[in-house]
Amino acid sequence: MRKVLQVRFSEIYLKGLNRPYFLRMLVERVRDAVKHVQGHVWLSDSRIYVSDATDVDEALRRITRVFGVHSVCRAIELEKTDFQAVRDMAVQMMQNETGSFKVEARRSDKRFPMDSPAINADIGGYVLERVPALTVDVHRPQHLLSVEIRDKAYLYTKPIPGVGGMPVGTNGRATVLLSGGIDSPVAAWMVAKRGVSMSAVHFQSPPYTSERARDKVVKLAQLLSESLCGIRLHLVPFTDIQMQIHEKCHPDYTTLIMRRYMMRIAARIAHAERAQALVTGESIGQVASQTMHALQCTDAVADMPVFRPLIGFDKQEIITLAEKIGTFETSSLPYEDCCTVFTPKHPATKPKMEIILEGEAKLDSDALVEAALAGREILEL
Amino acid sequence: MDIYLDNSATTRSCDEAVAAMVACMRDGYHNPSALYRPAVAAERALEAARETIAMPLGMEGCTVTFTSGGTESDNLAIFGALCAAREPGEVLYTAAEHPAVKNACIQAAARYGHTARVIPLDAHGALNLTALADLLGPRTLLICVMQVCNETGVIMPVAKVAQLRDQLAPKAALHMDGVQGYLRLPFAMKGSGVQSYAVSAHKVHGPKGVGALVTQRGYHLHPQMAGGGQENGLRSGTENTVGIAGFAAAVQAYPQGDKARAALLVLKQEAAQLLQTSIPSMQVLGLQPEDADSAPHILYAAFPPVRAETLVHALEADGVMVGTGSACSSRKHKRSEVLTAMGVPPQVIDSSIRLSFSITNTAAEIRFAAERIAAHYQMLARFTRR
Repeated sequence: MRKVLQVRFSEIYLKGLNRPYFLRMLVERVRDAVKHVQGHVWLSDSRIYVSDATDVDEALRRITRVFGVHSVCRAIELEKTDFQAVRDMAVQMMQNETGSFKVEARRSDKRFPMDSPAINADIGGYVLERVPALTVDVHRPQHLLSVEIRDKAYLYTKPIPGVGGMPVGTNGRATVLLSGGIDSPVAAWMVAKRGVSMSAVHFQSPPYTSERARDKVVKLAQLLSESLCGIRLHLVPFTDIQMQIHEKCHPDYTTLIMRRYMMRIAARIAHAERAQALVTGESIGQVASQTMHALQCTDAVADMPVFRPLIGFDKQEIITLAEKIGTFETSSLPYEDCCTVFTPKHPATKPKMEIILEGEAKLDSDALVEAALAGREILEL
Repeated sequence: MDIYLDNSATTRSCDEAVAAMVACMRDGYHNPSALYRPAVAAERALEAARETIAMPLGMEGCTVTFTSGGTESDNLAIFGALCAAREPGEVLYTAAEHPAVKNACIQAAARYGHTARVIPLDAHGALNLTALADLLGPRTLLICVMQVCNETGVIMPVAKVAQLRDQLAPKAALHMDGVQGYLRLPFAMKGSGVQSYAVSAHKVHGPKGVGALVTQRGYHLHPQMAGGGQENGLRSGTENTVGIAGFAAAVQAYPQGDKARAALLVLKQEAAQLLQTSIPSMQVLGLQPEDADSAPHILYAAFPPVRAETLVHALEADGVMVGTGSACSSRKHKRSEVLTAMGVPPQVIDSSIRLSFSITNTAAEIRFAAERIAAHYQMLARFTRR
């Protein structure tokens, strides 16, 4: 008998011929997740197992955050040949429970002499006789005892849900524009959840932004790093571009033109990263630069798809997700940001492309973008 | 090399203080309350430190109680006085007080059934004596007035406050927060009418985490911490002998007297003059630098339309460190209550920085800093919200 963690995967079930590839990636991701608690990880018969972790709670916590994991449970592994031991363990596991229960057997080893209904009846009856506080309810039980007959027999009671999604690295790369606010880390997380590995770009405007604002973004990237299986963060100096826009472009259009330069630079970095898309935390109408018209104008400069997973979310929905993934607290830190001098008093919500182009024509775009790219700092987190 | 002009936030520990602390940690580490000979030496060092710290205040009739710093000293003076009042009364504090005083007054008043009242400021940031006279009366228990305002550098008219107190509320005690004034301004406890005086080591090139409450001998306060009864029962806990050694060494090394103050004033006036010449729109907040009631080490000035934080970060890239009002609150995104109480408009408050000088600063540093402030100002002032 030994205790193991049994990991079930989510959508990978839907995969056809390339299912082994997805499974291999998921095993790798689980292995990475439990590396520092020395867990032993293996795949057997459509389940991933983890044993011998030095800290089982930590291993469990980490595995539930691995994209591609449907659920994890603490299971007892027994030799299926000793069925009496299986019965006794079932009693032991249900000993302290009261109320209704049900046994749910699953027999993937079809050579096993009892079929699933027979196992249900056998173990259910055995437990019922020995634990007087329990009654059987097969429709709406309060407790569910699962018995799986595979290479070995596995018993477990309370599966803990995982985040779902697909293993990072199975679906290409994307580059997120990470601001330090609440939205962009959530957007990055949502895209990564679909199996996309991420890099991030942050624009800094010293002296209008401070070292503390930089630390905050680094902290956010570090928080995401566990779920995203590492993240490369590009810190791009942006003050010169903002100053030039402020001096030369239409005052109502400065934010919009600034967003277009951010897109241009992020796209350059994304290409260099061999990424296939950009990701932003925008949602329709949240601020002036996120109106439908404005989004159309910013998209026009990106020569790759721009994904906005929060596009239909309310602020509160985004906050709830940020709290769930653990970035909200850091995102809400109030470090000063004096970039407000560059934000228009009356931003254009229905911008006209000709005014944008007229403004940008006054700037030496290539030189500005090159200088920003050359001045960037890259951190592997 | 960095140019540090935020000496009212904290100062670099001087070499003498560092050496004294190292020696104390290595060799003089014994508990002054123990019985054997090295402990006696530790106790003697502690008593010597008391004298050193009281010396600039005229020693005579002073009791020095060591604490963990300015905030604790203020709290001890305020809670220690208000908790024992026999009848409900009033505690007065100026609108310029540091949160250590202001919040202690508000909380102690609430806890012990007293009323806390604010003494308003005049347009220059000094307390309004007429308003104080109106507030004083038989119900007044305690008056809290800072020696020097940590933001504006205005010297409060404590002698006049003591006079008014003697006439209108003779039973009230007077507490002075001396954190920004100790050693930098002449002050003698005797004859000042001040009952308690709070000081902090790290503002005068000593270490952080140590300070003292200096009281008139015979002035009684109630201890606020239960424990072993150290410091004559007023402040329990084994004395921070390391910090106290550093504090005493820093006080000894601090150049005192009119000459040292004059040197500080020269730095401040030079800074003000250079800045005024290169940035005519600069506004000095509080009193003008040449005013006798303006402390020699603090210059608070606004540079609209440039935001203070932006200027601070621009200067930090040149290795020049300046402050924005009270360091404790500069990250809270709250406008200075002192400037608000003085009636300074919000946009001016948002663009004000504090230069605070130390005896370690040089004229060359001041010139460099003023030149950098002017250069950044010219560049940053071009960018205002449109």
